[in-house]
Amino acid sequence: MKKFIVISLFSVFSLPMMACLWWDTSNPYLFSMYKQDDFKNRVERVCNDNWKAYLGSTEEYFWFNADDAIKAARQKGDALMVSYLQNLKKYLNCVDIEQRKQYEWNYPTANDIAAQKRDLQAVRTYAFSKVKTKLRSQHALLYMRCNMMMGRHQDNINFWQQSACNFIETVYKDMMKNIYAGALYKTGREAEAGEMFAEMDDYESLMTIYYKKRSYLAISQQYKQNPNAKVLPFLLQDFVNNAQEAEDAKTGSMGGKLFIRDINQQESWQMQQFCELVVREGKTEAPAMWKAAKAWLEYLSGKKQEALKDIDAAMTLDGTERMKDNVRVLKLYITAAQAKPSDSFDKYLANELEWFKQKEKEDEFFGRAQTRIMRQTIFQHYIDKPEQRLALMCITHDYQYEQAIDTMRVDLLEKFYTYSKSPAKKDFDKYLKSQMQTNDSAIVELIGTKYMRMANWGKAIEWLKNIPVSYYNNNRSRGYLYYSLLRKYDVEPWITRQWLREDEAWEKNLKWWKNVKLDFCKEMQMLESSLNLLQGKALEQRYYNLAVRYAQANIKGDCWWLMREAKNCYDTVRVNEVDLGARAIEYLQKAALSNDNDLKIKALFAMGYRELYNNKNGKSLWTDMVWDEAKTDYVRKYYRQSPQFRAFQALYDMVNGAKEPTYVTKCDEFDQFRSYYRQHK
Amino acid sequence: MISCGKQRPQDESLEQCNSVYYWRTDLRLDSTERAFLKQYNIKKVYCRYFDVVMGDNSAEPRPNATISFSDSLPDGIEIIPTIYITEDCMHKPHKDLAEKIVQRIRQMNETNNINNVHEIQIDCDYTSRSRKTYYKFLEEVVKLWKSKVSTTIRLHQLSMPVPPVDYGALMVYNTGDPRKWQERNPILDYRDVYPYLKHLDQYALPLAVAYPVYLWIRNIQNVRIEHSVDAAEILKVKHAMEKERPNLSSSIITYHLETDNINRYKTETYEEIYRH
Repeated sequence: MKKFIVISLFSVFSLPMMACLWWDTSNPYLFSMYKQDDFKNRVERVCNDNWKAYLGSTEEYFWFNADDAIKAARQKGDALMVSYLQNLKKYLNCVDIEQRKQYEWNYPTANDIAAQKRDLQAVRTYAFSKVKTKLRSQHALLYMRCNMMMGRHQDNINFWQQSACNFIETVYKDMMKNIYAGALYKTGREAEAGEMFAEMDDYESLMTIYYKKRSYLAISQQYKQNPNAKVLPFLLQDFVNNAQEAEDAKTGSMGGKLFIRDINQQESWQMQQFCELVVREGKTEAPAMWKAAKAWLEYLSGKKQEALKDIDAAMTLDGTERMKDNVRVLKLYITAAQAKPSDSFDKYLANELEWFKQKEKEDEFFGRAQTRIMRQTIFQHYIDKPEQRLALMCITHDYQYEQAIDTMRVDLLEKFYTYSKSPAKKDFDKYLKSQMQTNDSAIVELIGTKYMRMANWGKAIEWLKNIPVSYYNNNRSRGYLYYSLLRKYDVEPWITRQWLREDEAWEKNLKWWKNVKLDFCKEMQMLESSLNLLQGKALEQRYYNLAVRYAQANIKGDCWWLMREAKNCYDTVRVNEVDLGARAIEYLQKAALSNDNDLKIKALFAMGYRELYNNKNGKSLWTDMVWDEAKTDYVRKYYRQSPQFRAFQALYDMVNGAKEPTYVTKCDEFDQFRSYYRQHK
Repeated sequence: MISCGKQRPQDESLEQCNSVYYWRTDLRLDSTERAFLKQYNIKKVYCRYFDVVMGDNSAEPRPNATISFSDSLPDGIEIIPTIYITEDCMHKPHKDLAEKIVQRIRQMNETNNINNVHEIQIDCDYTSRSRKTYYKFLEEVVKLWKSKVSTTIRLHQLSMPVPPVDYGALMVYNTGDPRKWQERNPILDYRDVYPYLKHLDQYALPLAVAYPVYLWIRNIQNVRIEHSVDAAEILKVKHAMEKERPNLSSSIITYHLETDNINRYKTETYEEIYRH
């Protein structure tokens, strides 16, 4: 019966819209006063259960299959049902043609459309002739469906009012009522249709009707007509959520949900006053909803004290169970945003988190709401208690947990690791630890990597030595394994770039057989610890070799995989990390002092490699295009004091007139420098 | 700096033409839109026929948001069926996808009595991950359609190898970061286009260019924010691009045909955008 519903909405739901307008966002709405048990899903569920019973099946029934049902009816000798099903099948074929226009590859032919018209007429005539049989509800529904598709809305209104409204209560009657409401809408009786759609939880149809009637003024007028109109929770919720959407846009969230409406401060304030009036008048059956709306709008407008007072008041007022649950959600948000750290708040939070865990099983709303509350208020509340904060991120499965442990100082991560392993003293810690499920290897590996990022090879080895190779093979992407196995850290990046075909990364399934990161650490430790044993050419060559490795491990190096799990062109050196590019330059400067011309040229050339200069603020490069406000265009600037300029300058002096290595001749950037420098010495 | 001598000869294969995109779900023109088509001598309408998206819980792409034809284009204007394909459809090859699309376009034309369709356009924001699959798919489309096929080219795609089609429609919009709207216009800002200008000269595919004339409404800080591009900015970008590749003035498209967009700019602006 799924197709009935789809076509029903198809005919009602006709908002003016652009293609590709919608995209998902991560800002769930907190004001949710009714469970979204959508009409469409509900009747589909009941219909499926009815067919399951008719077929005598014990298995879950998902898709109506007319042929199976006809077969079963024949076996039962149920001739009326057979003829009904045959006509229903014909009707569903007509629906299929409509669906094919939108969503199927086999777009209907002109003949298909002509046949659709003929069949609809025939089914309509048949169905009407059977509305006094024992399957009257089914046939009546079929008749109304045909009318709906044929645009005969007045026929449906007449039929419902004259006979169908008196039928016994069944899911078929519900569906007829939905079609009737759609017919009212199509014939200009919007208010009646709206009230019926609200009663039926048909949100999509409601939005069609109220798309342009969602303002404070429209809602207040609706209330004046009927303080307990069924459509009011829908409209109020839409209003408050739109106000939240506007607030979310402030903090960088993109917004962009369907049917967004602009709500300005003035309109929000008017609605707050109106909510208060509604509660005071005492005509509403749901004062908790109105009071909570006021509180949440106040909070969104920055009036946090008033919001707290009002949400506390809402906790004591009447409303449905769902409304009371929603008030509790909002109370946590508003309270957490203002509460001072204390044991009593910890206790309150632990209690609410447990409640959320139960509620999440009932409705996804609570899970989404919890995520938002955690991110916007709770994590901030525990800012001075980093272990508890991280633990909260961890137990609520927040994506910020991974991000936080990746960017935090290594000593703080070590502290968190110790915290997670040690027995708890306070009740709140006991609660957090009982809920935490951390991967020890992941934390230990990350601590080791953080020491690598600080070029502290000894400590890195200490942490990485116990990580099995299988950890990497099981926890890193194919892309990561591909790059890490095919790119070598002892290749001079300024001479050979290790380009790989990115698309192959997805095809190949390479695996580590040894811990390459650990090997790198050991090699770096060995190379640096024996520096004081070397001198002369051997020492200079060692400086150069170290520079190669630092350059490769640098954020812009080919071997980014040593320090990161993935590469992004916008990555920068973070606080708590050593600038490995700068470290490479330090070594190159020492190598460039060599008396060995080949090594000196190589080192100078390497210092001209722009990928070493992570920090662009100091104008490290010899030239750059810079935006000029006055000219409103980019202009080329030269930085003669920059390290790259000075390196190229020294290289120019070295190779000028002499036979230069091929890698120098082939370098476009040096070539450009040379052209410039010749004219601007 | 760049002389006309560097011009790619391929552009000459593109006829001089004024065009528009039509991006709504029902083909229905009002009098302003009809007048616009006549006034600016619009010869082609790139009309979005349907999207191709990965279906929910489905491993195969399917059509979505198919256009209805409540109206038809004025005589003498060529309709170019345009299909928007989401990038994730190209994460792996899908058997017969090209055939399904071409067949659906043909059937839509036949059912709705749309005649004289010679050309189609495929729109996809392909990336380095999806490029190979997309280009193979385009090769199949070209083989099956047996007539002219074009594809949209976004600025970031200029640095990739060229797609195997007759020409590209360079989309010069959605160039900025929507989150940094206070710094730069997310629809079009010369500074966002600038880094890509250097690729234009060497891009070995004939190019038509599409400029934005649309409005993007957002609600930020309780304020209705309307993003639209100043005429001067559009023209500045147009001139900078044509300086790099003069024949880019040959085939011009505006995105997209709608009365509000028509009324947003002066006649002189449209005349300048469509100047060859």
